[in-house]
Amino acid sequence: MKHLAVAVSLLFLFGLFAAPVLAADAFDLVIPLPLTGKPAKFGEIMKRSYEIAAEEINAKGGVKGRKIALSFEDSTGKPEIARSIVEKLIDTKKQPIIVGEYTSSCAKAVAAIAEERKTPYLVVASADDDITQKNYKYVFRQNQVNAHYGDAVVSFLKEVVKPKTIAILYESSAFGTSGADAMEKDAAPMGAKVVVKEKFETGAIDFKPLLSKVKAAQPDVVYTVAYANEAQLIMKQAKELRIDMKLYAGGAAGFAIPEFIKGAQDAAEYVVSATLWTPQLKYPGAREFADKYKAKHGDYPSYHGASAYAALYVAADALNRAKDWTADAIRDALKATNLKTAYGPVKFEDKEGYQNQNFHETLAIQVQKGEFETIWPKSHASKPYVYPVPSWKDRK
Amino acid sequence: MSSIQLEVLLQTLISGILLGGLYALIGIGMTIIMGVMKIINLAHGELMMVAMYIAYVLFSAFHIDPYLSILVAAPALFLLGVAIQKFLINPVLRVEAIIPENQVILTVGIGMVLANLATIIFQSDYRQTPVPYATKAWYLRDYWKDSPVDISLSLPWTVSFTVALLITAGLWFFLTRTDTGKSIRATAQDLDAAQLMGVNVQRMRVITFGIGSALVGTAGCLFIPIYYIYPDIGGQFTLISFVITILGGLGSTVGAIIGGLILGIFESLTATYIGMGWAPVGRFMIFVAVLIFIPGGVASLLRSRKLGK
Amino acid sequence: MKTYLPYITLTILAVLPLLGLSSYWMHIAILVIMWSVIGMAWNLLGGYCGQVSFGHAAFFGVGAYTAAMLYNKLHLSAWWGIPASVFVVALFALLLGYICLRLRGPYFALATLSIGVIMRITAENLVGLTNGDVGIQLDKRTWIDKTWYYYIILLMAVGAFVAVKKIIGSKLGYYFVAIREDQDAAESLGIDTTRYKTIALVISGVITGLAGAFYMNYMGYIDPKVVFALHDISIITIMVVMVGGAATSAGPVVGAVIMVLLAELIRSIPKLGTAHHTLFGVLLIVIIIFLPNGIVGDFSKIRNLFRTRKAAP
Repeated sequence: MKHLAVAVSLLFLFGLFAAPVLAADAFDLVIPLPLTGKPAKFGEIMKRSYEIAAEEINAKGGVKGRKIALSFEDSTGKPEIARSIVEKLIDTKKQPIIVGEYTSSCAKAVAAIAEERKTPYLVVASADDDITQKNYKYVFRQNQVNAHYGDAVVSFLKEVVKPKTIAILYESSAFGTSGADAMEKDAAPMGAKVVVKEKFETGAIDFKPLLSKVKAAQPDVVYTVAYANEAQLIMKQAKELRIDMKLYAGGAAGFAIPEFIKGAQDAAEYVVSATLWTPQLKYPGAREFADKYKAKHGDYPSYHGASAYAALYVAADALNRAKDWTADAIRDALKATNLKTAYGPVKFEDKEGYQNQNFHETLAIQVQKGEFETIWPKSHASKPYVYPVPSWKDRK
Repeated sequence: MSSIQLEVLLQTLISGILLGGLYALIGIGMTIIMGVMKIINLAHGELMMVAMYIAYVLFSAFHIDPYLSILVAAPALFLLGVAIQKFLINPVLRVEAIIPENQVILTVGIGMVLANLATIIFQSDYRQTPVPYATKAWYLRDYWKDSPVDISLSLPWTVSFTVALLITAGLWFFLTRTDTGKSIRATAQDLDAAQLMGVNVQRMRVITFGIGSALVGTAGCLFIPIYYIYPDIGGQFTLISFVITILGGLGSTVGAIIGGLILGIFESLTATYIGMGWAPVGRFMIFVAVLIFIPGGVASLLRSRKLGK
Repeated sequence: MKTYLPYITLTILAVLPLLGLSSYWMHIAILVIMWSVIGMAWNLLGGYCGQVSFGHAAFFGVGAYTAAMLYNKLHLSAWWGIPASVFVVALFALLLGYICLRLRGPYFALATLSIGVIMRITAENLVGLTNGDVGIQLDKRTWIDKTWYYYIILLMAVGAFVAVKKIIGSKLGYYFVAIREDQDAAESLGIDTTRYKTIALVISGVITGLAGAFYMNYMGYIDPKVVFALHDISIITIMVVMVGGAATSAGPVVGAVIMVLLAELIRSIPKLGTAHHTLFGVLLIVIIIFLPNGIVGDFSKIRNLFRTRKAAP
C-alpha cells in the first residue's frame, strides 16, 4: 500500500516536471510576472492580455514563421526571484528578448541584468522614472514615465478647473511618491498652491482623519495617487464625510481599474483620473482587444492590459524586422520601431534625459453614470466632461 | 479654536473610536487563542480572508447580505479552526522540540496554502460586496440645522462597532458564566492544574481555536462592506491582531476592546496631526512600550483595580 | 566521516564556479549561501540561545541601508558597507537588545517582529536619508560575472560557520544553551543572562547585517519593502533554520537549500502555475509535523524510516 502511494506520487511529480510537448519550431517566450502576492492582480490582467495577443499573432503566422509558445513564470513580486527567472531565460533558454514584469522594483532588477547581459528588455507597465534614465542601451519602455502620467489631468486642471489650491495624497510606494512629486512640480505653473501633501500606508483602512485634515485646508482639488483599492476607500469615505471639492482627481492605477467603480459605486461619480489608455480610443484594434478581453474575462482591461497586449506586438514586430536574432540586431530593430498598436503609436526616443522611452499621449477619464469616459484631450474625448461637479448633498 | 478645527478634532475622535471597534473585532479571536495556547498564529489574517470570501460568494451568488452571512461564515470558520487545531497544531504541540516556537512554520504553511487556494479559486482580482448602505452615514446637520460643526457617523462602521461590543459582552458572559468557558479560562491560567482538576485540556484547546476562528470570521463578514478582498489580504490583519492582543492582555476580551479603542484613537490623532505615513510607526511603538512596561496589557491594569474579569 | 563533512562540502563549494555553471545556477547558489549565512546568524540567537527573533529583517535592512547610504550620500563604493555595517548593526543590535531582551518567549518574538516593521516604516518616511520608497540603486554593479560575488558570500559563510562553531564550543556556548533550557535556573547559577543574551543578539545581528550589505552590492537595488520585509526576510529566516534544524551546525545550510533551491524548483514546475505556493506550504506543514526539530535535528528519524523499509521487503 505504502509503495503504491509512493509510486503514485512519484508519477504525479514526474508528470509535473515533464516539459510540455511543443511543436519543434515554436518560439518559446517566457514572461516573468507577479502572479501571487500583492501585485498579482495586475500580473493577472497582463497575463490574460499577453495570451490574447499571442493567439492573434499566431493566427497571422507568428514571428518569422514560428508560432509563439507563451508561458509565464511567477516572480511573486520579489526582485531576486525576478532576477532568477531572467538569468534562467538568458542563460539556459537563450531567449533573445525579455518582455514583462510589473512592479518597479522587479523591473529595475530585470533591467540591470538585461543591460549587463546585453539582452533587449521591453518594460511594459513599470512606471518608475529611473528605469530609462540610466543610460541603458538594451532597455526599452513602452509605457509612459511616471513623471508624465498626470499630464492630461494637469492640462485639464489648467484649462478647465483653474484651481488656486491643491491637496496631494499619495500612497507609500515608489509609484505613489514619484507621482505625487510630479504633481507638486506641475502645480506651480498652473498657479495652484499645494496646501496639503500627505502620505498614507498601503493597505490603510481609515482615511477619515486624513480627509478631515484636507477638509480643514479647503483646497480646490484633491489629487490622489493610489496603487490599488485605496482609491475606492478614499472616495467612499470622502462621500461619508461630505467633503466637497471642485474636483476629485486621481493618478491612474487604482482610479483607472474597473474595480474602482464597482467598489466605490456612486462615490466614484465625476472623479477624474489620469490613465494611459482607454477602450474608447480610436487606435486600430483598441476596441476589438477590449471587447475580446471583456468577453473572456468579464471586465474591460485597464491600461496595464492594453500595454501588455501591444507589447507582444511590438516585440513580434521587432523580431520580424531584425535580420537575425542576435541581441544587437533585435536592439536595433526595437530602436527603429514605429508601430501603430492598440495601445497607441509606439516609438522609442531619447529625450528629456530618458533613453529608449516611448512618450505617448496620456488621457484623463471621468466616471460618468458608472462608466469610464475619456474626457481629455478633447481630440480623444468620448463624452464631454462634466464640470462643475455637484456637491455631495445635491447628488441623488 | 475655530469651528472648523473643532470639527476636525471631533471627526478624528469619532473615526478613532469606530476604527478601534474594528481593530478589537479583528483581534479578539487571536487574544482568546493566544491566551489559552500561547502560540503565535501567523495564519490568523488568512482565516479572516476565508470568511470574507465566504461572504463574497454568498453575496454575489445568492445576494445574501454580508451581515447575514455571519450565520454561515462563523460556523464554517469554527469547523475550519477545529480541524486545524486537531489535525495540525495539536500533533506538533504534543512533540517536544528544542525550540517550541516551531509551530510558527506550521501556521505560516497553513497561511500560504489558504492564500494560494484563494488565488487559484478566485484569482487575484479585487472583489467587493457593493451593498447599498456602504457609504450611508448620518450627519449632525441633517438633524440640527444650525450646528456650528458638521459631524458624520458611518452606518457600516457603526454596525461593526456595535457588534464588537456585543461580542465582547457575549464572550465575557461565556467565559465567566458557563462551564466550558470556565474550563477554557482554567486551561489558560494553568495548564497542569486544569488537567489535574479534570479539565479535558486537548478538547478545550480545540474548542478555543474554533471559537477564535469563528470570531475572526465574524470580523471578516462585518469588515467586507467597508473594505475589499484579495487573496493576500491576511498579513496586515495578523499584525493588527498581535498589537491588540498584547495591548489588551492575553486572553482578555474586555482588554481587547479597550486596547482597540486606545489604538484607534491614537492612530487617528497621529494621522490628523502628525501624518498618516507615521501612524503605523506609532502603532508598533505603543506595542513595544506595552510589552516592556505593562506586560499584562490593559487587562492587568484593570485587574489591579479589581475591575477585570 | 561526520567530522570531515564540512570540509568536503567546502571543497565542493570552492570548486563549484570552476565547473562552468551558468549564470542562473550561480545566482541560485549565491542566494542559497546568503540564506545559510542569515540562517546561521539566526541559529546562534534562536537555536542555541533560545531567543526566537521575528525581526531579523531589521538587521538585514540596516546592513543593506548602511551600504546603500554610503554609496548614495558619501559616494563611496557600496563595498565599504561591509566593514561599516559591522559597527552600525552592532550599535543597533545593542539598542534593540536593551529594549527587547528583557522580554521572554512569545513576547520577545512579538517585540522583535514589531521592531522590524518599525524600521521599514521609518525607512519609508525618512525620505531625505533613504530616498524613501523610491529606494537606492547602484548605477553599475561591480562585476557582471558572478564568481567574485560567489566567493565573497562563501567567505562570509565560512566565517559565520566557524564563528558559530567556536562560540558554541566555548564557555559562551554553554551559557547560551543554559539560558535556552531554563533561564531562571541559569540566572540562579550566577549567569548574567541579559549580558549573554545581548552578546548572542549582537553577533547574530552583525552577521545578518553583513549579509544585508552583501545583498545591496549583489542586487544593486534596495527599497524598504524589499529589505525590511516581514514575510520575505524575517519569517523566511526562521523557516530556513527550523526546517533545516535549530541548534545544529548544518541545519541552516540544509534549510537554505530547501527554502531557496527547492522553492525555486517547485516554482519553475511548468504546469503548476500559481499553485506552487500550495505545494510548498504543504511541504512545510509535512516537514514540521513529522520532523519537529528540522531535517538535520531529526535526521535519525529519516534514517530509521529507510532502515525499516529495507528490513521489511
